[in-house]
Parts: sequence; C-alpha cells; structure tokens
Amino acid sequence: MSAQNNCGDVLLAVDNINMAFGGVKALEGVSFDIREGEIRAIIGPNGAGKSSMLNVINGFYHPQEGTITYKGETRHRMKPHLVAASGVARTFQNIALFKGMSTLDNIMTGRNTKMGCNVLWQALHFGPARNEEIRHREYVEYIIDFLEIQSIRNTQVGRLPYGMQKRVELGRALAAEPDLLLLDEPMAGMNVEEKEDMCRFALDVNEEFGTTIALIEHDMGVVMDISNRVVVLDYGKKIADGTPDEVRSNQDVIDAYLGVSHD
Amino acid sequence: MSIETIFFFETVVSGLMTGVMYALVALGFVLIFKASGLVNFAQGVMALFAALALYDFISPDGWVYALFGFTFPVWAGIILTIGVMIILAWLIERLMLQHLVKQEPIILFMASIGLAFVLEGVGDILFGSDVKPLDIGIPQGAWDWAFDHGFYVEKLDLYAAAVAAVLVTVLAVFFHSTRIGRALRAVADDHQAALSVGINLRTIWVIVWSVAGVVALVAGIMWGSKSGVQFSLSLIALKALPVLILGGFTSVPGAIIGGLIIGVGETLAAVYVGPYVGGAIENWFAYMLALVFLFFRPQGLFGERIIERV
Amino acid sequence: MIYRETGQFKATYDADQAIFPIAQDRWFVWAVMAVAFLVIPFVIDDYWAAAVFLPLLTYGLAALGLNLLTGYCGQVSLGTGAFLAVGAFSTFKLVTMFPEMNFIVVVLLSGCVTAAVGVVFGLPSGRIKGFYLAVATLAAQFFLVWLFNKVGWFFNYSPTGQITMPPVSVFGFEITGPSATPAASYLFCLTFVVVFALLAKNIVRGRIGREWMAIRDMDIAAELIGIRPLRAKLTAFAVSSFYIGVAGSLYFAVWLGAAEPTDTFGIDQSFLVLFMIIVGGLGSVLGSFLGAAFITLMPIVLKNTMVGGLGMEVVTAKHVEISLIGVLIVFILIVEPHGFARLWQIAKEKLRKWPFPY
Repeated sequence: MSAQNNCGDVLLAVDNINMAFGGVKALEGVSFDIREGEIRAIIGPNGAGKSSMLNVINGFYHPQEGTITYKGETRHRMKPHLVAASGVARTFQNIALFKGMSTLDNIMTGRNTKMGCNVLWQALHFGPARNEEIRHREYVEYIIDFLEIQSIRNTQVGRLPYGMQKRVELGRALAAEPDLLLLDEPMAGMNVEEKEDMCRFALDVNEEFGTTIALIEHDMGVVMDISNRVVVLDYGKKIADGTPDEVRSNQDVIDAYLGVSHD
Repeated sequence: MSIETIFFFETVVSGLMTGVMYALVALGFVLIFKASGLVNFAQGVMALFAALALYDFISPDGWVYALFGFTFPVWAGIILTIGVMIILAWLIERLMLQHLVKQEPIILFMASIGLAFVLEGVGDILFGSDVKPLDIGIPQGAWDWAFDHGFYVEKLDLYAAAVAAVLVTVLAVFFHSTRIGRALRAVADDHQAALSVGINLRTIWVIVWSVAGVVALVAGIMWGSKSGVQFSLSLIALKALPVLILGGFTSVPGAIIGGLIIGVGETLAAVYVGPYVGGAIENWFAYMLALVFLFFRPQGLFGERIIERV
Repeated sequence: MIYRETGQFKATYDADQAIFPIAQDRWFVWAVMAVAFLVIPFVIDDYWAAAVFLPLLTYGLAALGLNLLTGYCGQVSLGTGAFLAVGAFSTFKLVTMFPEMNFIVVVLLSGCVTAAVGVVFGLPSGRIKGFYLAVATLAAQFFLVWLFNKVGWFFNYSPTGQITMPPVSVFGFEITGPSATPAASYLFCLTFVVVFALLAKNIVRGRIGREWMAIRDMDIAAELIGIRPLRAKLTAFAVSSFYIGVAGSLYFAVWLGAAEPTDTFGIDQSFLVLFMIIVGGLGSVLGSFLGAAFITLMPIVLKNTMVGGLGMEVVTAKHVEISLIGVLIVFILIVEPHGFARLWQIAKEKLRKWPFPY
C-alpha cells in the first residue's frame, strides 16, 4: 500500500465535531475527511472517542456542534436508517449480530434497505415478494462465498465462535453494498491467523468492490500496513492526521501512547 | 375552611393511604428486582399468603385453634408468620430461582406468574378462600384530633403510614450500612462479578426473598385490617407495576413516592373525573398515568438517564 | 432411518427457501391436514367441539398473533385479552349493523379494526422497551375493557351488558348459534387457522420477519443497518393485533356465542395466551399451537382425573388445578425455557441420525 493512493475525491468530511455526554466531553472540535477508495484508520488510546466518532458518522449520536458532509451533502444530524440507505454500513466493537437468527438471515438483513415488498405480498410469498427474495438471496450467497462461510450458512450465529461472528458481521455490512464501510475494531481479540484473514478481506473489499473503509484498530502493525491515511484521537481531540509514516514519527502520538501527563 | 376544601383534603389523605399500600407492595418488587432481576408478579399473592397464615395462627377460626385448641398471641403469630415467609423464601430459592439463573427477564417474569398461581392455589387449599377479618389490635375508627378540627381520618391509616415509614428507614439503613446490604448491591449490579468476589448468591436470594416476605406480611396486615383478607389483595400486584414505572424498578424511595403519586392521582381522578365518564376509572387510570409519564421520562423519577452504546 | 434428508438436493434458492424443505415433513403435514379436514369433521360432536377443538383453534390463532409480536419482534404485550375483545365487539357490531354482510368479510374486518387499535397502543413502543412496554399494554387492557363496559353503543344497550351472537350462515351452512353443527363451526375455524398460519409463516421468513427478529435480538444494531425501528414495531403490532382480532371474532362468534367484557376478556386471558407462547416456544409458529394445545387441554385432563378419577370435590379440584398449572409452568420454564418447539426440534435432530447417532 502506498501513501500516494489518496487522491480520490472527498467522500465524507466531518467538521468541528463537538459532543458531550452530560459534562463529559467525548469529542472536541474534531475535523477530518475520508477520500473515495482509501482505507482510513482512526486510532487512539482507549476512551479517545473513536467509537463515538463512528456513531456520529452513523447518525446514532447527534453532536452538539459541527457538520458532516457526505457525498457533497452537508448535514448537522441525521436518522440512522437514512444514513444506512445512503450507503454507509458498519461493524461493531462488541459484536452486534442478531443472535437468534441464522448466518444467512443475518446477512439477508443487510439487504433490507434494498427490499421493498409490502407485508401483504410477503404474506402470500408470491410474485414480486418471491422474486425479490430470490434475487437478494443470490447476492447474499455471493457474499457468503467471498467470506468463505458456506459451512455455517444455516447455523444460529449465537452458537458460532467469536472470530466467525466477526466475519458474519462483516458479511452483513457488505451485503448492503456500501460506499463507505465503517469497521470498529474488526480484529480485536483475534489470533494471528484470524487477523490475517480479516486483513485480507478488508483489502479485497477495498480493491475488488472499490469500497471506502474507515477502520478503528488497536493493532498498530495492521493499521500501518493496510491504511492509506491515519487520524489519531486522544481525549476527544485530534492530535495527528497523515500517512502512517507521518503519524508514526509524530511526537504527540508517541506521547499519547506512551503516556505523558496531561497538564 | 369550606366544605369543598375539607372534602378535597380528605380525598387526598385517603389517596395517600391507598398509595402507602401500593408503595408497600412496590417495595417488595424493588427488593427482589434488585437482587434477582426478576419482576415478581407473586408479590401480591405473597401478601395474601402471609395474611392468611397470620390469621390462622391468631384467630379462633384458624387451623391452629381447630387442631390444638388454642391460638397464639398476636406477637407470637407475627413471629411465626415471619418464620413461614422465610421457609417460603428458602423453598422458592431451592425449587425455582436456583434453576432459573441467567434466564431472560420475560422467562423469570412468567415463572413468577406461575409461582403466583401455586401460592394462590395452595393458599386456598390450606386456608380457604372466604373473606377473613384480620384483627391484630390496631385501633380502628376516626382520629380524634383531626375529627375535632373537622377532618375525618382513619386511625388505621395513620398506623399504616407510620409503619411504612419505619420499614423504609430500616430497609434503607440495612442496605446501605450492613455487609449483607453491600453484597446485595453488588449482586444487583452484576451477578457474575458478585459471584467472582465470593458472594454467595443463593444466601443473598434467600435473605432478600425473606425480607420481601416480611414486607408482604406488613402489606397483608394493613390491607387485611382494613378490608379483610381476601383474594383481591393479590391484584394489588398489578397496580404496583405502574408505581414501579414512575419510581424506577431499582429505587426504594422511588417506590414510595411513586406509590403515593399513583394513590393520590387515582383517588382524585375517581372522585372528581369518574362521575362524568361513568365511573370505575381507577381500573385504568394508574396505567394511563404511567404511560403518559413514560413519554416524558422513560427512565422513571429516580432512574439515571440511559446512554445507549454499541 | 426413515427420517433422512440424504439425497434430497435443492437446485434452486426457491426450493431451499420452502417452508418444509424436507420431504418427510411435507408428508407429515399433509397427513395432519387430511385428518383435520377429512376425518375429524365426521366424528366431532358438541362436547369435543366446545371443549377441545374450538378452544384449541381460537386460542392457537391468538397465541400465534401474540407470538408474532412477542416471540418474533420481542415486544411483550399484556393486552391480548383486550385485543380479543376488540375483535369480538367489532364482529358483534358489524353483524348487527349489516346482517347481510358475508361473515368471512366480517371476521376479516374485525381483524382490521383490531389492527388499527393495536397500532395506536403500539405507539409507545417507539420510546419505551421491554418490561416498561408490557406495563404500557396493561393500559390498553384495562382501558379497553372499561370502555366496552361503559359505552352502551358497543353492546347495543343490552341491559346485562352482554353481547350475544345471532345465527350466521356461510355458504348455506349455519356456523354460529345453537343450531349450528359442530362440524361446520369447526371447519370454519380450521380454515381460518390454516390459512393464517401459512400467511404468518410466509411473513416471518421474509424481509419483515427478519426485521422483527433483528429488532428483537439487538434493536440498536438493527437501526444502524437501516431498519426503521418504530415502523417495524408498528407493523408487528398491526399484524399481531389483526391475528388476535380474528381470533377474538371466532372466539366470541363461533365458540362462545355470548360474551361479557370483564369476564371473557380480562387480564387472565392475556396471561393465558402469554403462557401458551412461552410454553410452546417464543418465535415459533408451530410452538404457538403446541402451547395452545397444552394450556387448553391440560385443565381438562386434570379436572377429569381429579373429579372423575379421584372423586375430589369440584372446588378443591379447582384450587389444586390452579396450583398444578403454576407448578407445571415453572417446571417447563426450568426444564426447557424455549418451549415445546425446541423439544420438537431436538427430537427431529435425534430422529435424523437414528439409529446411528454418531
């Protein structure tokens, strides 16, 4: 991966985001952008506000201040389902799969925004509803093949091991054919092989589908290897932004990770 | 003071007293919910059960007299009934709770409805299902001082309020200042974590259910002295649910204040609004009140604002 | 040996998505249908219809309705009794206002009215969850029953406050009233139940079913992947109430023939139906009916054994029965919290491997 690969147009830009829970400031004046086709990493120590940032992009948290520009449209707050419909999909730090459903059904839910037959047609399971179901099933099977999870297609996801659940979750996000994919610690708690698999999938998704990826990850090796640009948050503020090499040599970043007293 | 004002105050006072009853039952709910995450539908039936047991210990119509030819004095009857409730708590833990660890709340709730059925059936078989006047020597009639000032207030209601106040204070001290209280709060926060620091969950459960049993006994005595021991007692459990919504499922003061609000609101509505719409609105008023309230403060009066995370 | 799916390959997604992908299951279902439609109508008498089959069918449909809401969408409701009442009173009003209307249309319209009421009482689900919502549905339960008691228009100002079903015929067969044959009433209900069970199965295996289950399993994640929670929940309330309304219509019109708000549609009914789906299995169409069968038939069996077999007094037997029902419910929840549907599934898995379990 080369650092020069960041010349696409800006897909999403956040500007001066401020957000607080009661008195606790989670994000303070954070601004950065994500360009089309890149892998953008967001890193920082625990509690730096990384997941909050994703939640803001997602429309789940509403910042008190700041704007989000996505595909040229600037907005202050938005409903999560509209964000999802406009092509943003994500995975979660603590797996948020639908535990009572099979792998297949979980991934099928990812295509919900693309399905529209009303309840009466579905009750009859005939005509449009049936065709729609089969058409989307085809795409889902393609995702299942891509992620190599054919063997667990009909297993209830609650019974799957952790690494597999992470993979199913990625599948659910991919099923939505997103333009922007948000991955919240996709490799947390994984062993080396599983991490390698996950990296491979992320890179494949980026290259084959051309999907833009925003990634939160603690494993610096992974981050430095696969991302085009990195933004570093600490205590809700942006402390660095640039290519992996630039970030690596930034004094603020080193301080944040090695621990220098804040005063 | 005009007659309307006096009537208004009397209505409020009688509402407060109904509220005390609701609060007592809701208190039992809160205790058990905190310790075992279970919304105990059987709390009302437990009050009925306790009152029936007490009646049988102290009344000449009871089983004890029929079998042995004597009755216990009231104080001994109360102690024996507390003993019965502790045994009951132990049985519930043994036969039910212990096997239902880590089940979902809805399953636990259904189990408690099952428990309510069992207690109701067993209570009926053992003690019979007719209305029994419970008299443990609480003075009845009007409170003279208020009566002289133009109010009508039942003495019994005063005692009920006083007992409830004492009970709440004792419970508050118990849970905040004793070792068991601390363990209980730990259990309420996280079962697994509590187990891992060596708290014996099962002992805690027995203790909490016993305390809830005692609270139920107090509720049973109060209600029984007022309207006789009868099946309708177990239906208070349903009324205690909106109280919990107002006060929050985990807050002891919330249960008390919620109970009073519902009691007063319901009584006022029944007296001042009821006649215009055909009466009996106390059947649903509490639930509607809770529902409206939920729209503005979903976390209850004393609950903390919930921050949702993913 | 017999229950094997080896060799049954599916070449299309359509075949793979069938309700009963395994051939043996299909045969079994056809056999049950054949018995239900072709054998039972010829042997059924008044006692069996009134005590066993009509309760089983109407409660089964109500349980299915509640299961769509609670088992699939995860929204607990304690208002089932009131929604049954809405269905019943709608039927009563429609039949007395438009005696010429086809009764099938009446039943369906009653379902629609109930669906509308259900949506109104489902609105709080946008803000409140779980047990809080359950208490909110109690508001529906007590308010609606009170309404049917107090407003004379609903029971046509009859002095007792009761509603009574006039005789109604469908395709020339009388299905309600004293002179209806048990077979006609039974077949009428059975047809409704079978058709609606099939429709329910279609809904839950499609997009809307997945939305409901997503909301049930993790509502926040569901919202973030593009499901609109309130709309999904209100759809669940609407469909569920429609089913319960149809059940209420049949319950009153075909089975009971007369009803009175407080006793017939009280909170006890809400609990009873909730028991059925818990015991039968949350999130299972089959489970709804297994649960309904268990809860309606068990008291009959218990009563017959105790009063008939052991010679107990009726009153005592009633009390023992209540306790035993309580014990059984706790017992089932302890042994298999996922209900009979899960047991059935396990049995099928075992059967598939039998007689070579490894």
